Amino acid sequence: MAHASIQTTTRPPSRRDRIHAAIHHLEHLVPGQASIRDFVHHNTLHGFQHLTFPEALSQARHYTGIFGYLPAERFRALFAEGRISREDLQAVIEADPSLNAAQPIGPIPQGEIIRLKLQHGIQPISSRQLAWEIEEREALNQLQPGVEQESRDPFTAAGEPFAVRGLWRVCLELFGLSHREWYREERLDLASEEETPFENKTKRPGEAEAQREIIAALRAESGRRWEALVLRVGRDLTLRGLLQRVTGEDILNAIRPYLLRYLSGFLDLGVASWPMPGREAGFYRAWRMRALLEVGQGLEELPDWREQLEELPEEAEETIGFCLQRLELPEARWEGYLERLALELPGWSGMVMWRSQRPGYGGSPALVTMADYLAVRLVLERLFALRLCRAIWLLAPTLGMLGWHFQRYRGEFFAREALFSGVLPEFLASRASRLTHRPANDPDLGAEWRKLAYLIWTETGGAHFSGRPVTAATHAWPLFLLAQHLGWTADRLQALGAEQAQALLAVLESIDAEREGFLWLTAYERHYRERIFSALSANHGRGRWARRDTRPEAQVIFCMDDREEGIRRHLEEIAPMVETLGAAGFFGVPVNWRGVDDTALTPLCPVVVTPAHTVTERMRAGHEAVFARHQRWLALKGWWQRLTMRSSHKGLLVPLWIAPLMTPIVWVSLLMRSWLPEPWSRLTSGIAARLDADVPTEVTLTAADSIDPATPENPRNGFTLDEQAGRVAGFLRTIGLTSGFAPIVVIFGHGSSSQNNPHLAAYDCGACSGRHGGPNARLFAAMANHPEVRMRLAGMEIVIPDDCSFIGAEHNTGNEELIWYDRDRLPVPARAALNRLVVSLDAARLGSAHERARRLASAPHGGSRHQALAHMRRRGVDFSQARPELGHATNAVALIGRRSVTRGVFFDRRMYLISYDPTCDPDGRIVESILLAAGPVGAGISLEYYFSTVDNERFGCGTKVVHNITGLLGVMEGCSSDLRTGLPRQMIEIHEAMRLLVIVEQRPELLTAIYLRQEPIRELVGNGWIELASIDPDSGAIHHFVPEVGWQAWRNTLPQLPCVANSTEWYAGHTGPLPPALIALPEESTHAVA
Amino acid sequence: MPWPDGWFLIPILPLLAALWIGIGMVTGGRVGEAGERGTARIALFATGSAFIGLVMLDLLAWFKGAPGLKSYHPWLTSGEFSITWNLLFDRPALVMATLSAASCLVTLRFSVDYLHREAGFHRFFAILSLFSGGMLLIALAGNLVLTFVGWEVAGLASYLLISYMRDRAIAAENATRAFVTNRFGDAGLLLAIALASMWGVGLDWPALFAASHQRHAPPVPIVAFGLVIAALAKSAQLPFSAWIARALEGPTPSSAVFYGTLMAHAGLYLILRIEPLLWHAPVLMLLMLLLGLLTAALAVAIGRVQSDVKSALIYSTLAQLGLMFAECGAGFFDLALWHLVAHASWRLYQFLFSPSYLHLGEGVLQPVSKWLAQSHDLHNLALNRAWLDALTDALITRPTLALARDARMFDELVVNRIAGRPLRETLLASRAEWNDFSAVTDGSGIGVTGGRGMLGRLLERTARIFSWVEEQFVLKSSGDGLVKTLSFLGNYLTRAEISLGQPRYLILMIVLTFLIIL
Repeated sequence: MAHASIQTTTRPPSRRDRIHAAIHHLEHLVPGQASIRDFVHHNTLHGFQHLTFPEALSQARHYTGIFGYLPAERFRALFAEGRISREDLQAVIEADPSLNAAQPIGPIPQGEIIRLKLQHGIQPISSRQLAWEIEEREALNQLQPGVEQESRDPFTAAGEPFAVRGLWRVCLELFGLSHREWYREERLDLASEEETPFENKTKRPGEAEAQREIIAALRAESGRRWEALVLRVGRDLTLRGLLQRVTGEDILNAIRPYLLRYLSGFLDLGVASWPMPGREAGFYRAWRMRALLEVGQGLEELPDWREQLEELPEEAEETIGFCLQRLELPEARWEGYLERLALELPGWSGMVMWRSQRPGYGGSPALVTMADYLAVRLVLERLFALRLCRAIWLLAPTLGMLGWHFQRYRGEFFAREALFSGVLPEFLASRASRLTHRPANDPDLGAEWRKLAYLIWTETGGAHFSGRPVTAATHAWPLFLLAQHLGWTADRLQALGAEQAQALLAVLESIDAEREGFLWLTAYERHYRERIFSALSANHGRGRWARRDTRPEAQVIFCMDDREEGIRRHLEEIAPMVETLGAAGFFGVPVNWRGVDDTALTPLCPVVVTPAHTVTERMRAGHEAVFARHQRWLALKGWWQRLTMRSSHKGLLVPLWIAPLMTPIVWVSLLMRSWLPEPWSRLTSGIAARLDADVPTEVTLTAADSIDPATPENPRNGFTLDEQAGRVAGFLRTIGLTSGFAPIVVIFGHGSSSQNNPHLAAYDCGACSGRHGGPNARLFAAMANHPEVRMRLAGMEIVIPDDCSFIGAEHNTGNEELIWYDRDRLPVPARAALNRLVVSLDAARLGSAHERARRLASAPHGGSRHQALAHMRRRGVDFSQARPELGHATNAVALIGRRSVTRGVFFDRRMYLISYDPTCDPDGRIVESILLAAGPVGAGISLEYYFSTVDNERFGCGTKVVHNITGLLGVMEGCSSDLRTGLPRQMIEIHEAMRLLVIVEQRPELLTAIYLRQEPIRELVGNGWIELASIDPDSGAIHHFVPEVGWQAWRNTLPQLPCVANSTEWYAGHTGPLPPALIALPEESTHAVA
Repeated sequence: MPWPDGWFLIPILPLLAALWIGIGMVTGGRVGEAGERGTARIALFATGSAFIGLVMLDLLAWFKGAPGLKSYHPWLTSGEFSITWNLLFDRPALVMATLSAASCLVTLRFSVDYLHREAGFHRFFAILSLFSGGMLLIALAGNLVLTFVGWEVAGLASYLLISYMRDRAIAAENATRAFVTNRFGDAGLLLAIALASMWGVGLDWPALFAASHQRHAPPVPIVAFGLVIAALAKSAQLPFSAWIARALEGPTPSSAVFYGTLMAHAGLYLILRIEPLLWHAPVLMLLMLLLGLLTAALAVAIGRVQSDVKSALIYSTLAQLGLMFAECGAGFFDLALWHLVAHASWRLYQFLFSPSYLHLGEGVLQPVSKWLAQSHDLHNLALNRAWLDALTDALITRPTLALARDARMFDELVVNRIAGRPLRETLLASRAEWNDFSAVTDGSGIGVTGGRGMLGRLLERTARIFSWVEEQFVLKSSGDGLVKTLSFLGNYLTRAEISLGQPRYLILMIVLTFLIIL
């Protein structure tokens, strides 16, 4: 201890603080995904949310190298499909003031040039591509295939091949190029055989000087390039990256399997039955102590393993400093270095970060800190780099030593860098790679490298290192394409002059890939948005229940989830007198829930909320016998599952007696599951039902009155009556249901069931932290039915009539099953109303299944509704089905307002529907709280889908088929990959990557006030992570919010929406996304018939 | 009673399916989502028919006894030596074949939905069919050569599926490692084939078995030794265990059928196959017993510390395999056969359900004993997989790589020089020369200086050699050429000395010495 304290006093405190701060900063960079059991959708770039959307994407690209937009080819394909129109492109280009769209260049506005660039992908190419275009695609004899007819005409008039060639000539001339130069490599035949400067041959006069000059230039260039490369260490490279650039060897390939064995063992939550001892001491200590004991490192040929480890400090932070110092990295770049290091294995780094913020997660005693992890990473990096550098140069891996070596052997560095950057032609590359295999103590190695560097220099003229020269491929070619699309023949282009041509090119160049991606994205969003606005505008005044003049037959409250849009629409089509509402699926009741079978508490509420109440489900009194039977069944089932799936691979002898026992069962099960999954599931659940017993349960809802407030630290068992009334009133006010109660009010939580699906939680209710929301619905119904709660509600001016009953239920979005809670406790009159509703609901879920089937490749298309429902059931129990349902794929828009705004329009299951009555919210307090709660949830889902779609390999977790569950934390590909975060490919295939459009039925002024008041909303909306629009409750006028500009009134330019009799008519025969359509209301259709 | 004869189709059908899908892929007819259904049907039909055929055979065998060896067509005949296309339908063969066909069938069915829309869908089905055919061939082959063919087909399929994600470097590397390790086993098989044919024992299984009964049959234990080596490598027993943990890079269904179920058990099946031979080789039985027990003990320990599901499963598979080898070593061949079937079936189930691991069987596992839980050393040993990988690297991979590099160097500096070819290559200075050079030497021989016809080419070669000799010794030796040549030579010697100082050459020399002495 004394020793440690002396150390801390003698060390400057700032270094430790800086390392701390750097580690803290990492939180913004590494993925923040939870353990996969608690998967909750969140913005993949959550750490960048303080920036505007395009800035954040550009920053993220800087740090991670991942491009945040769909590739331009994909957008162009969407353009070809008509999903983005020319008008959309023009509109978004004109809307961006920085593009100066109206400013003309010659006769043409800049905006037009930009549009053509986007639409046709006009950009510089390489000289080889140019050669291919000219030789294989006859680019000089014919117009480009994408040129439109009106632009073709001038060329056809002058004779196409001739006119095109003429145009090309002019393009070359405008940049002072000659036709001979389009194939650059032709010029590069400088050195001839054996003329290397190192052989003392008689030379022609002047030759020696020329060679000396070249050598001097080469030496200078090599020195410069080394300096530049070293400066990048800590900016965008680590030692591993540096070595990769000069040796082609990736030391991470050797480090990864070794590191992951320890790391995943350390973090493991229960796959291994022999947990790593000593986890309480932290990763760094635990690893170091064990590494010192290792006997096997001698085999890895890691030099001085033990000596290296012994001289390390005891503390992780100090080790970080020690290693970075050893590397001889200037302190100013330490932070950057740690960032880079963490981002080399982003998934695991993110998991360490996540666990470090949740000590004791999953009952693991491991002491997880980021510093420990980074320290081990640094030590391993050093050890493995040492092995590499020793083998190649007999050097230690420090920047200083490497620098010293490459100062002496500049030719070697020059040639190595050229080789591993992939710019060398084959004959040089093969020579260079042969040199890299020579032993380090080879006496003439240095001379060989020098010769090779000289050859490389003469071959490429040193040009692959210098800046971009003016060439045909980079300059004339884009202009050539642009002129074709503009319909400009040679004469017109020539008349423009070189200066204007330069200006045209400058405009093309001003749009980089990110700018282009953002413009395409906004155009894509605009196309969809226009159609949504048009539909809402056409629907104004059509939807039922803007006011409850008559009493609805029933009210059904669903989760706001976009997947529920379908079943709601079908229900309304079948039963027009039913009102449907939507709200965040925890229904204003955040609880820690313990079901009757659960051993632990589960929070059922959005992740950002910590519940202050605990509710336990228990059997109803008088059912002890049944309960005992149920308990026995559970024990049996648990024993069986442990035996078959888990304990089997822990021992040697257990499998000996289980395996023969299992064999017949296994084969029957496998064959049945493969060919008849649904009957098999019915059979097994039938058997289970015989052995099991349905235990009637109740919830301990009501707590004794107390004046102490319940807090997350001091949670209360159950809710007091006042709290219950408060919850119910709050929720009913939020959704605008304070009067006109129907005889029966159903609250639907939701969840999804599937087999063999590690990402199960991602299909469940996002508002319940990735769990089933049924318990919340049940609790809410129980509260709202409580007579004393109703009395208190009446005091709050919410009068629920005595003949109104609430009932909780759960909708399975996978197999469309409905589960009812406490149905037997319903008063008799309400039962009749419920039975009537159930008939309609049964038809509605058939419709929902039918509509879903249209988007699934293996579902029966054009089949009956019952076939579709049977197919959905089958998917849920099919263990080979990687797509049990499509989740939130295609979610795109959220509407906060009365259902009357949207009722009667087909929204293709792409809309979150959040009920809110603007007429009861004069000061906007309610909508403010909705935006605060639903905004982040909706943005989280939408942005996770967005990013997983634009680059599924790197923002998402790739294909499910190679996933391997590790540590109960996440999935890897195979057995030693990074921890994969984000969504699997099977979830996003049909997703349309666009930002969420949130439309609020409220006046813009009021929303402005909220926007100014609420920082979280400003962050999301003002930075463009979601789009905001308002629809006026009275006039139906629509305004679109543009950050930094403000509200812009929307004008309809689209033709009138089609009107169809029902949803089925509109989607029948279509498998792709569909635009909105009006669905005839019953009165309209009767009118039409009359 | 004559047996209805179409049984030879059983291993052929899946191979034909693989071929058919492959042809479709090459000719471009079988691509993308649209072709999925057709591909799946062909693969399912082929393996399904094989399965049904086998079930019929099983029933026949049950009631009327197994048909035994069935010869179809002569293959190779040379004097007394001949190989026939024949299949052996006896009890172990039928059991193994039925298990293989059933497992492949279930896996194929599983993959139809699981691999839907994968870019490699057709490739996967072709390879899995290939594997199905290979396994059936191993099970049913009537002679050693056919077994070897099946062995190689299955090995190739395994290699191709480990590297299913061929754009991932780890997958490609691990596939190669698994493939190369398995070639050691092949060497054993080839040795057995060579010895058996050399000693004229005959290659048909029954002939081999019969030979083993003769007294003083010297080759039999050596043949058996080769086969045991092959079996140990295939079933990843010590010392070949390292490869199997690297083999799990492919899609889950392929991991299931290859490593959980069939491939890994193929080695053991070979042991069961040669049971009559082994009774005459007690030393081998003892070896199997020891290696099996050691593998089992080690694999149980390693399996317990694995924190990812597939690795945990594969090591427990390995442990059971070790136990089966030990059973064979102890002479309980029938028990081992039962054990094989039961265990393989169950692993198939577990592997196919491995993505459910998060949601199945929650609850606390039986913890290991307190003593074990605190043992850092043993945990370390298990966590690092007994350093088998590092051991393989140090003993095999790195020396092999280095030898290959040296061989290339030798090629370039000595062989090529003697052949006269690449002196130019090392001194080529520009693209233009490279182009000229490749144009002349790419084998077409139709350059300006190239000769036509055999005689022409011969003349050309000779001319080149002469010109090279002239260049080297006449032109260069003027001036300081001789000095340079000498210093060159000096450098080569230094380099050779450095190289020869490496341990691999010491080992090589020791091996050579032994060979000469022997």
